[in-house]
Order: sequence, then C-alpha cells, then structure tokens
Amino acid sequence: MTLTRHICIYILTLISTQIAFAQQYSAIRGSVRSTDNQPIRDASIRLDNQTTKTLPDGSFLFENVPTGHYTISVSSLGYANLEQKISKNAGETLFIPITLLTEAHYLESIEVTGKTELQLAKEQPIRPIIIDTRAAVTQATNLSELMNRSAGVRIRQSGAVGGNPETSINGFQGKAVKYFKDGIPLDYLGDGYNLSSMPLEILNRIEVYKGVLPVFLGADALGGAVNLVTEKRNSPQLHLNYEIGSFNTHRVGLIGSNQSADQKWAYGAELFFNHSDNDYKALVGIPDPETKNLVKQRVPLFHNAFRSYFGEGYISMQNRSWADELRFAVTAFSINKEQQHPALMTEAYGAVRATQNTIAPSLRYKKTIMDGRLAFDQFISYNNLESQRIDTLMGSYDWYGNFTPKSSRGESRLPSQSKVNEKQIVARSGINYQLNGSTKLNLNYVFTDAKRKGEDPYGARFDGTDIDVLSIESSYQKHVLGLGFDKYFLKERLHNQTIAKFYHYRAAGLNNTWFSTTVTDKDKRKESGSYWGIAEALKYKLDHNSSLRLSAEYTYRMPEREELFGNNVFVVPNFELSPEKSTNLSLGYQSRYFDKLAVEVNGFYRHTKGLILLVPIQAPNAQYQNQENVRGFGFDLDLSYQLARNYRINANATWQDLRIFGITAAQDAWKNDARLRNTPYFFANAGLQADYHLFSKNDLLNVFINYNFLREFYLETIPKAAEAGGFLGLSGSANLNSDLVIPDQHMLHAGFTYKLPSGRVNIGAEVRNLLDKDLFDYYRIQRPGRSFHLKLSYNIL
Amino acid sequence: MNISKLKTGLFALGLGLTFTACSNKDTPQPEPTETTKDKYVLITMSDNNLNKPGFATAFDELPNGNIVNNSSESTQGLGFGGWRPYGNWLFKMFKTSDNSLGIERLDVALNGKISSGGFISTDKTNGSGNFVIVDDNKGFYWDGSKPTEIQIFNPTKLERSSSIDFTDVINKIGKDEENIKFRAIGQKFLAVKDGKLFANITYATTDGTQKGFWDDFYPDVYIAVIDIATGKHEKTIKIEDTGAIAYVNDNQMYDFDSNGDLYIVTQGTSEKGTGGNSKISRIKAKETEIDKDWSLNMDDIQVGGKFVSVFAKDGKIITVIPNTALTGGPTGNINFSNIWEFYSIDIATKKRTKIEGVPITTNPGAAMAAIEIDGKILLRVNTEKGVENGYYELNKEGTSAKQLFQVTAGGSVSGLYKIKVTN
Repeated sequence: MTLTRHICIYILTLISTQIAFAQQYSAIRGSVRSTDNQPIRDASIRLDNQTTKTLPDGSFLFENVPTGHYTISVSSLGYANLEQKISKNAGETLFIPITLLTEAHYLESIEVTGKTELQLAKEQPIRPIIIDTRAAVTQATNLSELMNRSAGVRIRQSGAVGGNPETSINGFQGKAVKYFKDGIPLDYLGDGYNLSSMPLEILNRIEVYKGVLPVFLGADALGGAVNLVTEKRNSPQLHLNYEIGSFNTHRVGLIGSNQSADQKWAYGAELFFNHSDNDYKALVGIPDPETKNLVKQRVPLFHNAFRSYFGEGYISMQNRSWADELRFAVTAFSINKEQQHPALMTEAYGAVRATQNTIAPSLRYKKTIMDGRLAFDQFISYNNLESQRIDTLMGSYDWYGNFTPKSSRGESRLPSQSKVNEKQIVARSGINYQLNGSTKLNLNYVFTDAKRKGEDPYGARFDGTDIDVLSIESSYQKHVLGLGFDKYFLKERLHNQTIAKFYHYRAAGLNNTWFSTTVTDKDKRKESGSYWGIAEALKYKLDHNSSLRLSAEYTYRMPEREELFGNNVFVVPNFELSPEKSTNLSLGYQSRYFDKLAVEVNGFYRHTKGLILLVPIQAPNAQYQNQENVRGFGFDLDLSYQLARNYRINANATWQDLRIFGITAAQDAWKNDARLRNTPYFFANAGLQADYHLFSKNDLLNVFINYNFLREFYLETIPKAAEAGGFLGLSGSANLNSDLVIPDQHMLHAGFTYKLPSGRVNIGAEVRNLLDKDLFDYYRIQRPGRSFHLKLSYNIL
Repeated sequence: MNISKLKTGLFALGLGLTFTACSNKDTPQPEPTETTKDKYVLITMSDNNLNKPGFATAFDELPNGNIVNNSSESTQGLGFGGWRPYGNWLFKMFKTSDNSLGIERLDVALNGKISSGGFISTDKTNGSGNFVIVDDNKGFYWDGSKPTEIQIFNPTKLERSSSIDFTDVINKIGKDEENIKFRAIGQKFLAVKDGKLFANITYATTDGTQKGFWDDFYPDVYIAVIDIATGKHEKTIKIEDTGAIAYVNDNQMYDFDSNGDLYIVTQGTSEKGTGGNSKISRIKAKETEIDKDWSLNMDDIQVGGKFVSVFAKDGKIITVIPNTALTGGPTGNINFSNIWEFYSIDIATKKRTKIEGVPITTNPGAAMAAIEIDGKILLRVNTEKGVENGYYELNKEGTSAKQLFQVTAGGSVSGLYKIKVTN
C-alpha cells in the first residue's frame, strides 16, 4: 500500500483468531503495525488508567483485565492517535490487531472477539466432550466411529450403516440421552439424523454433554445430550464428496452455499445419499434340513440394506436492522431400511422393512440488541413424520435367502403394513441478556406438540370391532423452560452457572389398546405432570493451564410418547408411568503440561430412580413400566500428547460402576448392588496420528491408527459375587457359566488422509476392524468384519 | 543369576521329569470306574421379561433351607420360565442361549456344570417345540412351519428323523369352513398312552400372531388318536364345550394318575384367556375315549376361573384354583397376584381339600404347580414379589404342606428335577 491520499489512518481489523486454550486468560492483547506490516515498537497503549508500550515485535498485553467497558488509546510518533471504546465480557480474552496509517485519523471500526465457538464451548463450566468433525472430515469414517473414540461416550450400534446407533453417556442410554442440532431438539426428525449415516461434512463439531446440560439445550435429558453443531458457511462454497466401501457402501454428498456481496442474503443446500447392502458375513445357527439341529455357519446377510436421501436447503436474510438472521430452511429425508432378523439373530427375514420420511420446513430468527447485551433466538418447525413398517410376505426365508411360501402373512409374528403419521410442532425460544460484564441471564423454552394417527390393515382392532387402534389419534405436548444465571467471580477465576428448569407434559389417548381388553370411552385418558429441576455448575481456574469443574443437578425425564401410548403392535399403553428422576454430580480436572501433554480427568456420581423399562404383561404384550433404580459412579481419563512435531498420541479410558438399588421384592433382592445389565463398564481407546508432507509443503499426509477395547459386559443381571474380579473388575471373566456374557472385544482401525497440494482434493482411506474380529453389540448382534473404505473430497469452490 | 545354580536347577527339573515319566509308565493305573451321582437341578427365572432369563444349579442333595441359585456353580441362560423333564433328561422348549423355540436338552456333568446337550430348531409359532417322548429313541413334536404334520425325533440323539402328514385327518372336520384360518395337529397337546399318540387338532379363527390360542372355532376340543407303531390315525375324539386346550409352554398341563388314567387340562372358552368352561377331563387307562362320566369343571368351583396345572397320583389331583374371578391386562390378577390356592381333589368324589400351610401363590405358568421327587410331593410356591419363593412338601395325607426350601437369590422358582449323572 502506498502513502498517497491519507495522512494518517488507523485501521483496526477484526481477525478471528485461533488461540490455544492455555494461552488465554482474561487479558487484552494485541499488536500494532504499520500499513506495510512492520511492527511499531514503543507505541503507547492506554487502557483507561493502565498504560503500556509495545514491544519490538509490536505486541502489547494487559493482564488480568476485569470485565467492563474501556477506552483504548494508541499513539506513536508519526502516526495519528487512536481512541475507541471496547467492551470486555467475562471470560473473554481480546486480541486487537492494530494497523496505523500515517495520514488521516479515523478509526474505521473496531470489533473484538476472543475465541472461537469451539474454544468457548470448551471453557464453559458445563463442558462438553468436543468431537471436532472438521478435523476428520476427510477421513473415510462416520460419526459413530468418531464418537466411540471419546472418553465416557459409547455409541452402541447394531449392524452397520443405518444401524440404530444409540449414545451411552455415563451409563445413561436410550431415551435418557437427547439429541439436538444447533440447540434444537431433534426428535421431530426421527431417524433423519442417524449417527451412522450422517455425513461429517454437515457438521462443525459434536458436543457431548455428560450430566448437566447447559440452559440452551432445552430437554428433559436425564444424563446427557448430544448437540450436533452444523458448519457455518458464510463464503461461497461448493463441495463434493464420495465414499465407496465394503458391502456395496456408497455415500455421496454435495454442499453448496453462497452469500451476497452486501452480506444481506445467504443461501445454500446440502444433499446426501447413503446406501449400503450391509451384506457382511455373520455367524448364525442354520437348521439342518433333516435333523433340524443348528449348525453354525458364516453367511452373508442378504436383507440388511440401508438407503437414505437427505437434503436441506436454506435462504437467509441477514445483517438487517430488524434481524441478524432470518433463516428459512426445508429439511427432507427418506429412509428405507431392510430388517434381516428380529432383536436377536435367531432367524432370517427376507422382506421385512421400514421406511421413514418427512419434509420439515423451519424458520429461525436471531437478533441482538442493546449493544449486543440482549439476544433473541427463535426457532419453529412443523412437519409430518411418516413411518411405515412392512411385513406382508406370505412365506419365510432361511439364512441362505431361500424362500418358502406359506399361507399366513408376515415373517415376524407381527404382520404389518402400518403407516403412522406424527404431526409435530417444535418451537424453541432463547433469550440471553448480558446484565453486566460478568453476569448473564439465559432463558430457554422448548415446546413440542405431536399428534399421532395411522392405519394398519393387518394391525390390532378394538375388541369386537373392525376399528383400527392406530386410527385413534393420540396427542402429546411437552414444555421445557430453563432459566440460567451465569456469573464470574474472583477476578474471573470462578465461573458459575445456575440453571432452573421446569417441565410439563400432557398426553391424551386410549389406555387399553390391546387384544384382550374391551376398549370403551372410559379408557380415554389424559395425563399431565409438572416437575422442577435444578443444576449448578462451577469452573475454577487453578492457573493458566489448569481448571477444576464441579456440577450437580436434580433432573427428570418425562415419559416419551411410545412409552405412554405404546406402539399399537405389542407394546401397550401405560398412562401410570412416572418420570424418571436423577441426581447427578460430576467433578473434572483439566490441565496442560509443557504445551505437549493435555490431561483431563472426570468423575461422576448418579442416583436414578424409576428407570422406565419394557416388561411383559401377558403374552405377547409388553408395557413400559417404572422398574429399576440405579446409582453409581465412574471416571474417565483422557490424555493427548504431542510426541514430536508430526506425531500425536491420544488415549482415554472410561470405567463406571453403575449398580441397581432399592429392590424390595424378596426374590429380586439379590440384584441390589448388581451391575446395570447390558451396560459396558469399561472401555478404552488409543490412537496415533502422524503428519507428513510428501511432495511439497502444500500437501499433507495424515496417517492414523485407532484401537478400541470394550470390556466384557452382561446382557442380563448377574450377582455381584459372580462378577469378574481383579482391579476394577478388569481381570478374568464372570465367575458364572453363562451364554449371556458379551466377551472382551478389540477393534483396530487404521487409515490415512492425503491433501493434494492444490488443497482442493482430499483422499481418505480406512480399514475398519483391521483384525477381523467378531464384534458384537446389543444382544450379540454381530457387527461387520474387516471392511475397506475410500473417500474422495473435492472443494470445487 | 548364578549360572551354576541355574544349571543345578535345570538338572534337578530334568531328573524329576524323567522319574515322573518312568513312574507313569511303570505303575499300573487303575481302570476308570463309572461314577453315578444324583443331581437335583433347580431352575429359576431372574427377570420377568420376554426372554425369561434365569439360572440353573445342580445340587448334590435335595435342597433344604435357604438356597442360592445364582452362585458360581450356576448356569445363566434364557428361556428359564420352566421345563419339561423326561426320565433322566432335562428338556425345555426354549433355547438357553437365545430363547428361540425348539427342543433343547440340558446336560449335567458330574461336577455340576450344566450345558446345552443339543437343540432341535423349530419356527416361532406359539406351540412350536411342543413335544412328547415315547422312549429313548422316539418322540413326537410340533413345528409351526409344517402345522399339519407331526414331527418325529430321537431324544437320545436329539435329532429330527421324519414326520407324518395328517392334513387329511384334520380336514375331515370343517374342511370348507372359511372362518377357520389356521389348522394344526399337536400344537397344544401331545400325549402318549398305551401305544397311542394323542394330538389336539387346532381349528383357529385367526392366522396371526396368536394363532391357535384363544381363537378356537369350535367349542369342542378335537384330539386325534394315532397308533404309534403304524403312524396311522385311528379316530378323533373330543372334549366337549371347553374351547381351548392347554397353553403351550413347558407346562404340558396333563398328567397320568398312578393307575394310568390321563387327566387333561382345558383352559376354557374366553378369548381373553380368563377361563369359562375350563375343565380337567379324563381318558381312562387302556381306553382311548374321553370319559364322558367324569370331568372337573372350574365353573362349579370358581366362576371366572380356570385350571392351569394338574398333578395326579393315587386317585388324587393336586392343582391350584383361583380364589376370585380372573382378570387380564396390565392390572389383571391372572399372572402376578396371590389368588391361586392349592387343593387336593379326590378324583372319585371330586371332594376338594384345601391344602393348609402353603401360601396363596401366583400363577405357576410354565412351571409345574406340583412335582414328585424322592417320593415327596412338592408344591411350587411363588408369592407376590417373591416373599415366599420355593417348594413346599406335602404331607402324606395330602392335607397340609410345609416349606422345604426358600430360594433367596436367582429369581422365581420355575422347576426342580432329579437326575442321575454318570461320568
């Protein structure tokens, strides 16, 4: 730049900085440079009453700056003075790069920012496990595999692509763990956001909250939540990726976005396609045609395919006087999933399948006023989630895929051609108010309304009539209101978050929709309930590199729709259900040593009453009932170490001791203090990564290997005395002759990604289950053996 | 390490091994002797869920006092709601590893270890795996994949061998009746008596999940009489006006009196499985017809009740009778309420004697309400929440019982049987 027209111009430029966690501590720092990018030394910097001078490299620093409003002044011989007001909020470290021009003297603008959203999330008292999907986006892997590498988190998945993954957090799983997308509860999208099929490209990161949820996640989660944070796309982008893998797996993604020059309009779309035959080999018992004895054989699964289409398009008006952003989006998906076998791999199905689809328009409005102190965030969506279950075959298949006709309909015991419509409204309102530099108030309200109605020509009828039980509408509303108080103390060393939550649900439907009960108007039921929960989270900074976190909560989980209404197949309604309730405590320590070693240790305690479980009532019917109480504690340890410039190693281990308590029935009293069944109590991961430049400094080869260990666990309750012994129960096996112990499992993945020098093309390859071990989860459902995956990513724009 | 010491140690070890080897070679070994031991095998169901998980333990003596049935000596598995022992064998209709339907034999080792001794697989229709054994080499069972056939198997090898098609026999009744959606033979009742196989014929009005259960087209229960030697159908007999015969799980719901008379439970006409016209009927020894002059009608005892189990010995029937009308559903009393009372019923006079000293219990379900071991008649008791959970021993007079043992850990008792184990 030449010095021509301006005499002295000051430009302060906002630069979004990537600042290492350990280097940030409630400070204001910056640098002063000339327009030709030369550092200006000995420039005087005044921050209200404090002054300092820039160092030879032009940098300056004010340490331990309390929150508040300040005036920063910069002066240097030959340059015009600068003066500007800035605000510093609690917990923020500001970085202000200043460029001084020699002519003119106006401050073009000053925007301050401290940290990326990722860093801010990591520094909250309620700290999530962060899974940085951007870092793995070029890998030929999926979200389930990525999450399984994290401490304290276990993705339990039956089968392969599309295989109903379920997140287990501190032993909580199933409906106790809630899913969100950018803070919006995801229930309304059904299986559309399936962790095993969702592309990494769609996300910026995944936040896994263990225990207390921050107030902006409005849900009645009992023990944790998964928040999928999508990638913000503000610049023109066009990205294409394709993955091919074993078992005829194909995954294609196309992402495009753009923004008008004046930044007032933005639009984009994301389109994804997943298909896998999932025809891996499984060891199953096949009856000999004559003797009918079972012979164990490995056969390829032949009716296990999964196919999904997913698309989301949006258009945003932004940077308006009346809205920071008004975003209209339409999300749509269609899923077709074949079912190879019932809950256990006891027999083969050849035609049972399920579909699900929806088109979900949504509107999101964001606005910040009062100099950024008051922020609104409103979301609303309406959709009809249509689910089908099809089992109409008049015949059966064997494990070889041979068909035998028969006169009756249905391969399972439940013939069906059901179509269920769930019309849903989800609304979420968020208000944040910055009371002062160290205090914030957050209000979050989530309203869910669902009405379910359907039909099934082969389904149950009301006793003595031809009225389809699915044709009777049931309705469900849930309100979750949260109020959070966020404050810093002790010169920002102590950060406190207090959250109060109010839950209310209302359900209406029929109580006796099952075959052996006559249903009348008397059976129409309306149930409702209101509950309060509270949570407290503290973070205390021990020093620049270390912090302690403590959180406690008393929370509820409302009965879900299926638990109250049943599924009109064999799960019958139960309007007598009470919410599950839990008291959760957690304590964490996080530190960094020598800038190379990061250590995190977390412990938790939970005390949960009235777990809702499915129990039989009279064959073939089952019903959700409040059954077990669980308490226990656990800890996880997470280490990462920079071995050398190009080598990183990470490892984590999770151990949890969750046990049943409070059983008073004499014949079941022995279960008191037994481990919670079907819940792993120890798992660990280790990984090694290395980076190399192969042909130029612009290319990058990343090689990685990950090992995962899952300790044996028990499908059904075993007495404590029969558990495996040794330190933490890690030695040997259960001292019991049992077919219901899932053995130790070892899994090894390895792969690489290679970024071509152009930076536009990435190649990723991965071998999963490298050792080709038999892997199981969920009632010994077998998972794939060794598989190969190759992924190409191309940034067109 | 001191090298000389290492050498000395290795030399001593080698010398020892040498002499050991010589000793084995030179010393005559005693011939292996056959050892036979009695084992009292107890099963319990640890959780009331669809897979019926539970435990089995082989005790050296008849259990007494407080019993733990899930120790390190126990075996854990699924499908432990009951069993159907025969002779020196332990059979059950649900596979221990995954609860799938069929016929499984549990083998017991001298050291008490219990393991699967084989499995015949069937389809998943209710009643599949319903079986009866003729002798060590022959038995019959029903497989829902071929509902109009009776399968033949070898109990020793535990292998299916062949089948007999009785489609024509079934179609002799109601062949053109369009409201009969499902036909089967042997689905709910298979008994062997005096060289004849007795097999119920199902005429059901539904062809869905519950086909054959509580959906009878006829109020009468039809039973085919088949000559075992020839495999030929001889005739079809019927129990009149009772609706449903049995409810197949491991409790076969019939028993032979000491004189060979066969007593058969029918569960009534209620589509909800809650009774109505439930009976115990009889086929006398050496006969093949239902005794029209004798039946025990629940409606005469408890309106709205039904029979769910029968044990016959020396002219007496031991069974449980509900003390109130049965109700189904989630809050019903039929399965898990203390309403079932033990009675001894004199077969000749039908006089009922309530057995004293034994608690009112829950429905025995797949477990037999009464069994006989070592000459003792034992009553299975499981009260609500398992306050009482074990077996009671009936006195010689059949009038009262006292607790023999209480299971304190492992779940609700679902079976006890004595077998001889030989190495």
